[in-house]
Amino acid sequence: MSSILVRTAIKLIFPLVLIFAAYTALKGHNEPGGGFIGGLMGAVAVLLFRMTNGRDALVKLMPFHPRLLVSAGLGIAFITAVVPLLFGRPMLTSLVIDELSIGMGQKIHFASAVFFDVGVLMVVIGVSVGMIQRLNEEIDVQEVRAEQDRAEQNQEAAL
Amino acid sequence: MDSSWLLLFAVLAPGAAGLLTLVLPKAWITPRVLLAAIGPALAFVLVLSHLGANGVEGGLTHIDEAHHHGHVEDGHGHEAGDDEPAHDKKAESYADPPGLNHDAPSGTAVIPWVPSMQLNLAFLADGLGGFFALLVSGTGVLIVLYARGYFGNTEQAQRDLFRFYPTLGFFATAMMGVVLADYTLLTLVFWELTSISSFLLIGWDRYDKHAIKLAKQAFFTTGLGGMGLLGGIALFGATTGIWRWSDMLAPGSVAEIDFGSAAVTWAFVLMFIGAAAKSAQWPLHYWLPGAMAAPTPVSAYLHSATMVKAGVFFVGRLFPVFAPGVYAGQAAGTGLEIWPYVVVSFGAVTMLYGGITAVNQHDLKRIFAYTTVSQLGLLMAMYGLGGFSYHDLPTIDFDITQIANHAFYKAPLFITAGAIGHVASRKLPELFGAFHKHKAICLTMLLAGYALAAGPGTISFQAKELFLYAIVHAAKYEPWLWLVLVMTIVTAACNVAIFVRLLTTLMGWRFGMQAAEEDAETDDHHGDHEHHHEHGFWGALIWLPAVPLVALQYLGGVITPLWNVMFLPLEKYAFYFDAVPALWQVSFKTLPLYLSILAIVLGVLLGLSKLLRGQHTDVNDQLYPATENAFVGMGKGLFAVLQNGNLRYYVLTVLATLTAVFIVVINRDRAMLELVGTEATKAFELPLGVILGVLICVSALLLPMVSQRVVRVLVLGSCGFIVVAMYIVYQAPDLALTQLMVEIISVLLFVLVLRLLPDEPDKRKEIGGKVVRAVAGVAAGLVFGVMTLVAASGEPAQVLGEWFVQNSYHGEKLADGSYGRGGGGFNVVNVILVDFRGFDTMGEVTVLVLAALGVWSMLPGRRKELDKR
Repeated sequence: MSSILVRTAIKLIFPLVLIFAAYTALKGHNEPGGGFIGGLMGAVAVLLFRMTNGRDALVKLMPFHPRLLVSAGLGIAFITAVVPLLFGRPMLTSLVIDELSIGMGQKIHFASAVFFDVGVLMVVIGVSVGMIQRLNEEIDVQEVRAEQDRAEQNQEAAL
Repeated sequence: MDSSWLLLFAVLAPGAAGLLTLVLPKAWITPRVLLAAIGPALAFVLVLSHLGANGVEGGLTHIDEAHHHGHVEDGHGHEAGDDEPAHDKKAESYADPPGLNHDAPSGTAVIPWVPSMQLNLAFLADGLGGFFALLVSGTGVLIVLYARGYFGNTEQAQRDLFRFYPTLGFFATAMMGVVLADYTLLTLVFWELTSISSFLLIGWDRYDKHAIKLAKQAFFTTGLGGMGLLGGIALFGATTGIWRWSDMLAPGSVAEIDFGSAAVTWAFVLMFIGAAAKSAQWPLHYWLPGAMAAPTPVSAYLHSATMVKAGVFFVGRLFPVFAPGVYAGQAAGTGLEIWPYVVVSFGAVTMLYGGITAVNQHDLKRIFAYTTVSQLGLLMAMYGLGGFSYHDLPTIDFDITQIANHAFYKAPLFITAGAIGHVASRKLPELFGAFHKHKAICLTMLLAGYALAAGPGTISFQAKELFLYAIVHAAKYEPWLWLVLVMTIVTAACNVAIFVRLLTTLMGWRFGMQAAEEDAETDDHHGDHEHHHEHGFWGALIWLPAVPLVALQYLGGVITPLWNVMFLPLEKYAFYFDAVPALWQVSFKTLPLYLSILAIVLGVLLGLSKLLRGQHTDVNDQLYPATENAFVGMGKGLFAVLQNGNLRYYVLTVLATLTAVFIVVINRDRAMLELVGTEATKAFELPLGVILGVLICVSALLLPMVSQRVVRVLVLGSCGFIVVAMYIVYQAPDLALTQLMVEIISVLLFVLVLRLLPDEPDKRKEIGGKVVRAVAGVAAGLVFGVMTLVAASGEPAQVLGEWFVQNSYHGEKLADGSYGRGGGGFNVVNVILVDFRGFDTMGEVTVLVLAALGVWSMLPGRRKELDKR
């Protein structure tokens, strides 16, 4: 996986995929997409990055345990779900503002469900990255051990 | 509303005080004791003030004066010349039945909790509930003090008391709730809480495996009873619509219950199972002697005076409703015919069995445990007998006195048993002549023991007289009750024998029990001897709390009018006597008195004889362990069959089961297949879809043909990508996107996992031939296909789909032209995900997190090892 072609390509593709993932997640309420899809896309991007550039590069890029992402995401989703209860509405009722001005004369269509989507996105990225990273570590360790064994055998042979 | 809150406060006070003691430092023993005692004391005062201010609801059941006296004299006269044995109940029934009337209790105002489930906070302090509340809180104060004397003031005691008082408070609160709740389901909630707290207290010694086993035994037995109770209450509530005790007791409602229906009968049977399990009725009584593994304050409180009486209390609650003939004058034909037969039989057997087993024990706590079982049987039988009538009057009198009587001698017996265990031993043979060393403790125990023997001068004597009175009367119409009478005499003789042995042994007289050989078997593994003995007031607390209770016994026996002043307002049934008769009022010519004397003579003879002196092991003790072993064995067998560690086997089992169930269901409703046929033809309308479908099938069939794992993964991936194309053809971009990403990630995951697997699959674990697996795979695929088609043909799905589409952005158009609430988005799929079905998404995301947690916990992190490199 460490072919130079793939590595260079991934460097170019990686940010693009992330941006597209964010776009799909945010736009999801009105067009194809959504938090789940966005999260999966982001996860694929991160995984490809890890597979080509190795574990250390990913640790540098994401210097925290994925469970942080997971718990934060679940927390956000849960809060979004519960807040309407405080206003006497059923759970997960979303607040819709048809034309929310975001400055500079721009207006967007806003639904509070976007927070829920963001929570889902974070959970999905965290879970997939966390799982695959663990599996990868397992493989790396096996390889490291095999290497050590080989080195020891060589030493013994040399002696 | 006020009294509701007041009683709620009374219920919660002991638990709250117990929790508050946790704030105190461990070394502050005296403030801890006082604070813990304030809880039940406050509850006692609050209940008393409630009863004082509002009166006891549902007072004494009155009878016409003339009628009443006629009956009492009638009752007295019968025994002398029993010249009318052939009387038939119907033949003798009066043209004008006795006018029984009673004030129906109404319960306090309702504080809503879960109104939709008929579970609200309302309380009923009638005679029965009010009495029990006073008993629980009053004894609670004494037990808090006793626990201080029992545990002592060592460092170990500081830790023990720190943990003990909150648990005890928890129990007291639960028990107060049981007896005061007005909603049947509220009673059940507190009932289960008493089981839990009892479990915690029996397994008090957390390092004693034996105690833990016994705690589990008690918990499961009473817990299963609780299930019966739940079933009974639910069934009764659902059929009759009655969810409150006060509604149940209302005059009109008894007449409306259809006692002939199977549902009401079953409701009664289930509720009785629950009550019998809790009150240690044979054959479920084994847990109570086992529960003696608890510290003695617990045995004295829970397992003699309060919790074990919850079953009796419950039967007492049911009694006026279910027992036939209690309100015969009002609603003829009400009540359940089987009531007296069921309740009396179990009660009488328990009574006799407990009595005989008790004589046969050496450990004091076990002796008293079995006499408790026996007495609980008697109390049950008492309520059962109330279902029989004599001259149209139920054969029951002064149930509260009976219950109070038992509590007032049994709790002191346990308290002093713990005390004597502290200073000497709990084995009867080892206590030979102990009286001369420990005068105060032994004297208290003997005084309480005299009440156990129902000797004249204690209220116990009158209580036993009243019980015999009831049997003798009921037996006039039900000859088989003479057998119960004999059982009662034998039981009473056993109780007398226990007292005689206690007396002779403690005093060191001839005929006493003397230590012969070593007896190893005892429940008291933690050993009372570890506690060092204190002197002074705090040291005396180990027996002093027994004194007020014993005093009540003698006060009732000697100055009965005073007893009547205290307890008569709480009584509900007085048919033969206006009040509990004093000692001199018990007529000397009546049969019950002769029977009492007979019992005492027999008892003294038995006590002095060599009979029944061995250590009897209760066969029922094996009941629970055997059942548990059977279940555990069954579980292990099933585990060995189902969980053999082979993934292929699991998949095959799941798929085969699915297919089998599907075939059964399809066989029942053939119409489904026709629906599938029409639905399947629609699938062939789009040629592109057909082509893709064929491709999917081909790639799926390719899977078993290739042997290399990596290639298989790739084939599986290609199968998935064709599915993506399928989604696009059928215009589902969201699904297509998701499927695409999922496919990519699963291929990556598979490739990673495959590198961890050995190169060659383990041939030994092959399940079935290739043919079997292929057949199972194809069958499962077909089942899923058909199920999908069936689901697609359903009418409701389409309605729902249209609704989703219409409400995706705006809600429905309202009358004033505006729109109702909608999802606020144009992408229906996402609106469903985050809004209409947002709760599902929430759950799915949580499942995802759980899966990740599983991976993280199963694969240990290798970060450190890798970083070392």
